[in-house]
Amino acid sequence: MKLLTHNMLSCHIKGVKNGYPFKIDPVKIEEMDADYDPDFLRHIYPRLEWPALREAAQVMGEPNLPEEVTESMLQNDEEFLRHFHHALLELILEEGALVCPETGRRFPVHKGVPNLLLHEDEV
Amino acid sequence: MGATDTHLGATGCADTQLADRAASSEGASTSGREYLAYFLHRHLDFRLPELESLIEYEDKNASFSWRKPFGGCIYSPFWYLTLPSDGFARQLCSRSMLLKGCFEVWGEGATWEELQHAVNAYPEHQKLPWLASDMTMKVIVDGWGRVIQQPEQLQYLKKLEFIPFKNPVKLAAPQVTFRLIVSNCYSDHGMPAEVPKRFYFTRQVSLCSHRDVIAQYGLPQRVYLGPTSMDTEMAFIMCNQAKVRKGHLVFDPFAGTGSILIAAAHLGAHTLGSDIDIRVLRDGKTASDGQAVDNWSNFEVYKLQRPVGLIRADVHRSPFRSNLEEVLDAVVCDPPYGVRAGGRKSQSIPERQIRDREKHISATAPYFLGECLRDLLHMSAKLLRLGGRLVYFLPAAPEVYREEEVPQHPALQLVANSEQVLSTKFSRRLITMEKVKPYSASDAEAYHEEQGDPRMAIDMLPSLIYEPRPIINGRKAPPNRALNGHTNRSKFC
Repeated sequence: MKLLTHNMLSCHIKGVKNGYPFKIDPVKIEEMDADYDPDFLRHIYPRLEWPALREAAQVMGEPNLPEEVTESMLQNDEEFLRHFHHALLELILEEGALVCPETGRRFPVHKGVPNLLLHEDEV
Repeated sequence: MGATDTHLGATGCADTQLADRAASSEGASTSGREYLAYFLHRHLDFRLPELESLIEYEDKNASFSWRKPFGGCIYSPFWYLTLPSDGFARQLCSRSMLLKGCFEVWGEGATWEELQHAVNAYPEHQKLPWLASDMTMKVIVDGWGRVIQQPEQLQYLKKLEFIPFKNPVKLAAPQVTFRLIVSNCYSDHGMPAEVPKRFYFTRQVSLCSHRDVIAQYGLPQRVYLGPTSMDTEMAFIMCNQAKVRKGHLVFDPFAGTGSILIAAAHLGAHTLGSDIDIRVLRDGKTASDGQAVDNWSNFEVYKLQRPVGLIRADVHRSPFRSNLEEVLDAVVCDPPYGVRAGGRKSQSIPERQIRDREKHISATAPYFLGECLRDLLHMSAKLLRLGGRLVYFLPAAPEVYREEEVPQHPALQLVANSEQVLSTKFSRRLITMEKVKPYSASDAEAYHEEQGDPRMAIDMLPSLIYEPRPIINGRKAPPNRALNGHTNRSKFC
C-alpha cells in the first residue's frame, strides 16, 4: 500500500467519529520506483489531506515534506516535487498495521494489503 | 473472421513524411473529412460507443458525425465517420480494439462498372498526390464475408489497372497502401447477410495496432488468474470506454485477480483495487510449478507500475474518509452477480464476542445486485471527478431485462449501454456513465428515497440460468436456442 491510498482511507467502525488518519505501525517498508509525473502531483495535491501525508511519510522514512505547500512549490520546486512523489508513490507499507486513532483497533497489513473488513460487532 | 488480407504485416508507413501530402490533398476544408470506419466483426454493440469514447478521449470538443453503412444494416462493418483529419483518424486507430482501420474511399459500387466510374469521378487533386512516381505503394485485396483466393486476387489487381498508378510497388512498409474491399457475404456464415455485396476502393489512412495487447496480456500465459478474470480484449474495451489515460487514478472496487487494473496500468494509469475476498486479492495461489503467485506477481511479470493500493474492503461500508471527493478519474469494474461468484457484504451481529481481532474471520452476508449497484453508483458519484466515468458490467438475462432497470444516479449520466450475448439465456451489458454534476448528498438521498428498495429482476438470475429443463419422453428437452438469430454471434464474440 502506497501512502496515496493511506491518505484516502479512514476507520469506519460504527460510532467512530475521529477515525482519520490511520496511524501507521510499520513492520516492513519497501521502496519501489514509480514514474515521476509532476502533473499528476499537481492534480492530486488539492485532493489530499496534507498533514496526514506528512505525518505518514515521517513514519515511513521520508522526513522532508514541508508543513506548508505553496503554489510556486507545486509549479516549479523540483526538489520538493521529488520528495512529494517519493512519499506519495514510492514508499510501500508491506507488513504492519493501520491503527484507528480513536479506538486503537488494529487493521493488519500483510503482503501489502490492508484488511479493512469490519468484524460483525463493528458494523 | 471473414476478411482475408493478401499482404499482411506492412502497415505503419512513415506518418510524418506523409503529413504534408495528406494536408495538401485535404485542401482547406475545416469541416473534416469522411472516412470508412471499417470494423472487426466482434462485440457488435460495443463498436460505435468505443469509437465515440476514443473521439472524446482525443478531443472533448472534436466535431464528428456518423453515416450509416450502405444498405442500412447497423451490424455492417462499413460505417462512415467524419473526423477532423487523417492525424485524428490515426490516433483513434492507435487505441481502438474493435476498429480494423480508417480508409479514404475513392469509389464504391455494387458492380465493378459502378466502382470504376466512382473512382474515375473522385477529384484528381485528392488522388494524384498518392499516385506519384516517388511514392511506394502496395495494394491489398480484402474479402469480407468470403475468402478470396490468390488467383482471384490477382484478377482484381489486374482489373484495377484503370487507375493511373505511377508508384513503385513495395510490399514491406510502403508509403501508401490501397485496399480493395470486396464485401460478398454468405448468409450461412453467421455474418449479417443483409450487408450488401459491394466494392470499395480505398486509401488506407491507418490500420489499428492496439490489439497487440491481447497477445501481450493474454490470459493463457498470465501467471495469476481466476475463473472470473476479465478477458484482455474486454478489459481494454472497458478502459477505452472510461477514457483511461496516463496519470489517471483508476479504481476497481471488485478487483479480484486484477485484470482490469492490468489494462489500466498498461495505459499509464495509477491503479487502486479493492475486494471483499482476501484469498483472491491477497493470498493468491500456488502455480503448477510450485511457485506462489498473487496479484502483485502479474504486475511484476508485465513490468507495470504497482497499484497504489489493493485493499480488502466492502463496497457497502466504504473504507474512504467521508470528505474524500472528486479524486478518481475512472471506476471500472465487473460487479459480482451470483452466477459464478456471488456478492458478499459485511454482516452486523452486535452481540458477537470476538476474542482475537487479529485472527478473527468476519462474518459476511449475501449482497444482492440491486443494493450492490446502488452502492457502486453512489460511491462513483462521490469519488469521480466531474467528467470522470463509471464503466461496469450489468448482468441481463434477455428474458427479464428492462431498460428502466439500468440503475441511475442524479450526478451520473448514461453514455452507453452495450449488450454482449453470452448464451441464449444470459447476456451482460457494459454500462458507461459520466459524472456530469457535482455530488450532493441530499440530492442522492432524495433520489434514492423516491426510487425505493433497489430490487432487480436480475437477482433471480441463478434460478433463471439453472432452470431445470422439462423432461420429455424420459429425456431432457433440448435448450431453447432460438433467440432473435443472436446465437451465431457467439462464434465471433
